[in-house]
Amino acid sequence: MAPTATLDASDITEKARRDLLQLLEGVRGKKNLVIEKSLAGPVGLFVKFSTLQEYGVDKVFFLENNNVDSTQRNVIFLARGEKARQVQAIAEQIKRVRRESKQDHEFSIFWVPRRTLVSDQILEETGVLGEVNVAEFQMYFVPLEKTVLSLEMDDAFSDIYLRRDPTAIFLAARALMLLQKSQGLFPRILGKGENAKSLANMLLHMRAEEDIDASSDPSNAHVHSFDLTPSATIDNLIIIDREVDFPTVLLTQLTYEGLIDETFGIQNNQTEVDSSITGAAPSQPPPQQTSGANSQAPAVQPPAPSALKRKILLDSTDKLYTQLRDANFAIVGTLLSRVARRLQSDYDSRHKANQSINELREFVNKLPSYQAEQASLKIHISLADELKKVTNGDLFLRVLEVQQNLAAGADPSTVHEIIEELIARDCSLTTVLRLLCLESCVSGGLRQRDLEHFKRQVLQGYGYQHLLTFAALEKIGLLIPRVSAGAGAYLNPLANPSGAATVTDYNLVRKSLKLFVDDVNESEPNDIAYVFSGYAPLSVRLVQCILQKPYLAQLTNPRTAPAANSQPSTATASGNWKGFEDVLARIKGPTVDEVQKGHNAAASQARKTLQGSGGGQVKTSIVFFLGGVTFAEIAALRYIDGQLGEKRRLIVATTSMIKGDTAVGAGMEGRSFKMR
Amino acid sequence: MSKPTADWEKVGDRFYRKTQLYTDVFDQDLELENYVIAGAPYSGAVALYRDEDKLHAYRGTQTAKPTIDIFSCAGKLIRSLNIDKGIVKALGWSEDETLLVVTNDGTVRCYHNLQNDFTPFTLGHGAEEHGVRACRFWLSGFVALLNNNALIAVTRYDEPRPKLLATPPSGDVASWAIIPPAYTLSRSVEVLLATGKTIYVVDASECEDRMLENGPFKHIAVSPNGNFIALYTDDSRVWVISSDFQNRLSEYNSRVKTPPKDMQWCGNNAVVLAWEDEVHMVGPNGAASKYFYDSWVHLIADTDGIRIITNDICEFLQKVPDASEETFRLGSTSPASVLIDAVDLLEKKSPKADDNIQLIRPNLDEAVDTCVKAAGQEYSIHWQKQLLKAASYGKSVLDLFNSDDFVDMCETLRVLNAVRFYEIGLPLSYEQYMRLTPERLIQRLVNRQEYLLALKVSDFLRLPLNKIYVHWARQKVRSSNADEESICKDIVHRLDGKRGISFEEIARAAYDEGRSKLAIELLNNEPRAGKQVPLLLSVGEESLALDKAIESGDTDLVFYVLLHLKKKLTLANFFRTINTRSMATALVEASAAYGDRELLKDLYYQDDRRLDGSNLLLTEALKQSDSQHRNDKLKLASKLLQDSREHTFQVKAIDESQRLLRIQEVFEKDLGESFVGLSVNETIYKLIKSGNIKRSQKVQSEFKVAEKTYWWIRLCALVSRRDWRELEEMSKTRKSPIGWEPFFNEILGAGNAKLASLYIPKCTSLTVPERIEMWIKCGLITKGAEEALKAKDISSLEMLKNKATGNAVHEIERMMAQLAPSRR
Repeated sequence: MAPTATLDASDITEKARRDLLQLLEGVRGKKNLVIEKSLAGPVGLFVKFSTLQEYGVDKVFFLENNNVDSTQRNVIFLARGEKARQVQAIAEQIKRVRRESKQDHEFSIFWVPRRTLVSDQILEETGVLGEVNVAEFQMYFVPLEKTVLSLEMDDAFSDIYLRRDPTAIFLAARALMLLQKSQGLFPRILGKGENAKSLANMLLHMRAEEDIDASSDPSNAHVHSFDLTPSATIDNLIIIDREVDFPTVLLTQLTYEGLIDETFGIQNNQTEVDSSITGAAPSQPPPQQTSGANSQAPAVQPPAPSALKRKILLDSTDKLYTQLRDANFAIVGTLLSRVARRLQSDYDSRHKANQSINELREFVNKLPSYQAEQASLKIHISLADELKKVTNGDLFLRVLEVQQNLAAGADPSTVHEIIEELIARDCSLTTVLRLLCLESCVSGGLRQRDLEHFKRQVLQGYGYQHLLTFAALEKIGLLIPRVSAGAGAYLNPLANPSGAATVTDYNLVRKSLKLFVDDVNESEPNDIAYVFSGYAPLSVRLVQCILQKPYLAQLTNPRTAPAANSQPSTATASGNWKGFEDVLARIKGPTVDEVQKGHNAAASQARKTLQGSGGGQVKTSIVFFLGGVTFAEIAALRYIDGQLGEKRRLIVATTSMIKGDTAVGAGMEGRSFKMR
Repeated sequence: MSKPTADWEKVGDRFYRKTQLYTDVFDQDLELENYVIAGAPYSGAVALYRDEDKLHAYRGTQTAKPTIDIFSCAGKLIRSLNIDKGIVKALGWSEDETLLVVTNDGTVRCYHNLQNDFTPFTLGHGAEEHGVRACRFWLSGFVALLNNNALIAVTRYDEPRPKLLATPPSGDVASWAIIPPAYTLSRSVEVLLATGKTIYVVDASECEDRMLENGPFKHIAVSPNGNFIALYTDDSRVWVISSDFQNRLSEYNSRVKTPPKDMQWCGNNAVVLAWEDEVHMVGPNGAASKYFYDSWVHLIADTDGIRIITNDICEFLQKVPDASEETFRLGSTSPASVLIDAVDLLEKKSPKADDNIQLIRPNLDEAVDTCVKAAGQEYSIHWQKQLLKAASYGKSVLDLFNSDDFVDMCETLRVLNAVRFYEIGLPLSYEQYMRLTPERLIQRLVNRQEYLLALKVSDFLRLPLNKIYVHWARQKVRSSNADEESICKDIVHRLDGKRGISFEEIARAAYDEGRSKLAIELLNNEPRAGKQVPLLLSVGEESLALDKAIESGDTDLVFYVLLHLKKKLTLANFFRTINTRSMATALVEASAAYGDRELLKDLYYQDDRRLDGSNLLLTEALKQSDSQHRNDKLKLASKLLQDSREHTFQVKAIDESQRLLRIQEVFEKDLGESFVGLSVNETIYKLIKSGNIKRSQKVQSEFKVAEKTYWWIRLCALVSRRDWRELEEMSKTRKSPIGWEPFFNEILGAGNAKLASLYIPKCTSLTVPERIEMWIKCGLITKGAEEALKAKDISSLEMLKNKATGNAVHEIERMMAQLAPSRR
């Protein structure tokens, strides 16, 4: 099939794979690979360990363990070069190996995703630059799913919001720029939030620079200058700054996938659970490999952390999981038993009398897929059981009560008692902090008195080192004192020259965007609010402001928008913020709306006709979450994708996956006063 | 017009042709015999250097300074380079027309783009002590032979890494040659050294003797495709062998006593020998042809032929290309030759033209193709036209024909003819042009400052123009004497509105010329903020560089500038520079947090950020391993905030933490268990669990722990201690601040249903069904039923009845009966 111009995740995977293997091939002979821990997972998504072996990799070490040995002449480092720490670690390891080893070594460093000036400088200062081969492994987006691209930068959240280090934003811009190079310019860039603004600005900037870079590079000048015309397939890029919508992260996700993430954690499409829950992996090729997902097996098998843990692959290769992942957990039980019954009846059909040979053969052909489904059913039933135990727990229900109250806009003081109780009961600190942060976020900060009261409770309950935690959380903006002076500013947006609110007025936004839906239907979702059993994530509502205007208008104001009623919700998607400017002004951070046009109208036109945008074209919208996205939001976006119909496709891109524990954990002080 | 075959010569069964490219090449005064000469590949420039080994007449002081002169192939002086240090031992060119000059001390100078300035690097590996003897170059690298026979290979010029090859045996090297990496099996360069009677093949790891008996070989030459090696033996014979030393392909006896001064390949199938004014060309199978000249001859080998240069002429000797041979060979009956006849006849208006066409009708498309190809091989414009006319005539007869090749060839020929013009002096053959690529041809034109032609050719070939403009501007910056302001104005004005102009490059040229102010002014026009940074740093505009780096958004660049600044500025100045720029401060903080804590402390102090400073001390306190140091740090942390009123909470908390640590240490001493590191609540919990209620109460009052919290902790601790007695005791208390339900839940959770049930009656705030549920959980159905009875809840009784077994069933039925009448 001819390569289509539409954005295809498998192309990205394939390219990353090819690039990496090519780099490995460039180093002749056997080699030891030293890989940064945070890269092992993403790399594992597209190459198997056995493939690495075919390319001469003998042993794999983690950079952090600092234990590479001198068994091979060639040593390859694969690491991110943005932070000085990493570079220094590599320089030291090179020196160590050189000192300890008797033979000559060839060192190579593959920087992900780019070679930096700083890395060169540090290597030079430490005196190793002259002897290492430095190359780039340009891995930016890693597809987690066909429609989910992630940069897999685990530190992105803490970098952007805690340390205010915009590296992640810059790399995101680079990644998006690469997409633009292959797909054409995003005709429109929309976004909300301070960092979204700077990302958009960087993109515009880079485009201007790209013009020069492309034309000063003789080999591919024409190709690029042609590509920098607006894309015919991508309609717009919507950038959501995480800062705009912290509450969604802080709430407990109630979809199946979200709950698995909250409870067991999902890393690079894999979750690790106690083998007592699911039963040990049956035989050596683990089930996820036999079920046809062998391309996804982990590249780096860490030296079996403990035999009691078992890794489970969670992605769309598991058909059953695809049905379950986005469902509200309340109905997962029903879904599972329905599937179980179907499987049983399918399986029983073999006993049917007078089957023809053909029918029998058909049955036998299907047998492997039955078995795979059976196996995955077993896993999911046990996972769901385990989750059920958690969700039925007293603590979970208490936490949920607080969350629902806060999300629905109840007076925060009503939940204070429960939070105090949770602290007294020594409930996990992340959970407590999530609730406190949630309250702070939805009510524009905690009152000074309340804040100090809770701080005291937490310090006494969990240790005084958490003074640092509070300082960090305040820096991130998750837990702040309410500023009375600020109230005037956001009540009157006109007073603010930039037109951007500094604090989101949740009470108003909740009403005008209907962030809380009372009559939510979990089994037959009628609104994205189902993912949180009532609360509709603001981030996704913002996307709806652009893509589902009539629906949202009707939802928020059913009486005065009768015209919208008659229209099907998918009909118009003009791709701008129109109609919601008032609400946006009340949400924190500036609003972005940029139109990108080609230099050359003729070329743009040519591109359009080449790709035959004569109506039949599927239009893609890319939603980029800067600072992380939750599984629940992805579920909500998939729901919207379904609503939008065939003509429009949503692709979710992000810096990394995130959940409340990660967000709060970014600020948490890990050490205690315990003596070592 | 002379026939195209006029300069053809048959050698063996092949035709060779010698095309005269230019005449009057060099000044007659130039004594070519005293010069070393090196020509760039693809008909590029020619570099001349006076051979130091040869005697020359003393000409006064003006020649004392040795120079390397770069000429075009037509003899036009392009540039003269002064060599002030070292004795030049080798001259060579790379593919992109970079001139490499190697001096005897192992210094290599790379003159890029035919300019005066160069980038140097040294060979190392003992080159300085032993001295360089000679070098052999290939398109992207070279090998140097030292006087001690050591061999050093350089494979790239952008990041040169001279590498020592395997050590060859000592002994006089009679001649040597290299096989470029692209043509060897090992994909690394191989060196052929003729020592004694044999030849050694040396690569990076080993040195192998090829066991030849016929040495010493005066010359070795490797064919351009690396397949063949020509050897010149002591008994004046030429051997051509395959490069694996397996087959001897041909042999030729020159019958000349003196060995030739040079031996080179002409394409891949002929070897050319040169004496002072005599040239022998040896074709396949030992067939040869001789040419004689009036003056000294130099050979410059190229990929598809060889250039012969004397003072008077520059010629190109090559095998006649197949297409040309097919078309023009005497007596050829190929379709192409018939076609060219036809067009001849057509011009004479002879009807026979059509007969010819009909004759070759079945092969006409092939004939057209051949004519198009042959046109490309012709140097004479007349014959190019003739061939294209023939092709055009031929294709007009064809019904279906793709004219792309024809159109391309017309364009190519226009370009080739333009650059072959003697004032430009780039006599490219078609094949060379294909290998060179149009982009690099433009680069060559620009290097020769032929801007107008470069622009026209670029425009004609639809290539980007920006590089040409940039080069022009750089040249202007270098050579113009006008004042800086007007230069800048002029450049900006000329380049206004042109796409893709890199002002950074222009500014760099200005900086390299020492015109810093101009450089900065030019940089202001550079749209790519990131590109401005390194140059701004070079000119000492650090804070501007920092601003630009921040503007680019690239944190790497910002870091880079910061590293630079930190080295250059005093700490105070450094902080002053960054504290107005929030991103820079954030980056410094983020990176210092992992390493340079002292810097961070200074930063917080300088900016009077007390809370951050205090927090920093707090993290340090956490790291300390002995209590004395830790307390010191904590004290400092609290002292730092002492004066400011808005941090009272923080101060109090830090003081409390010290107090807690002190108390914990006392407990450790008294109770012999570890307490340090626990929180207040955990301490209380641990105390209760180990039965030290009194102490726990003391902690409670000391830290003003809320009653509710204390009760919760007590409950949990007692449950985990399974202290049922105490818990039972507590049930007799009148009031609990946390209610009694938690007691029920926790105790039941711990498995003591009996004790739990004691608390059910105390949960008065709950509804009846809830309490019934609690009874059921304890397994006391009857009790639940009593509860229901009290509330007169018949449906709950029904439900309970279903759950009950044995005696309880009757009991409940009885109760239901009790209720029944009352309902009536």
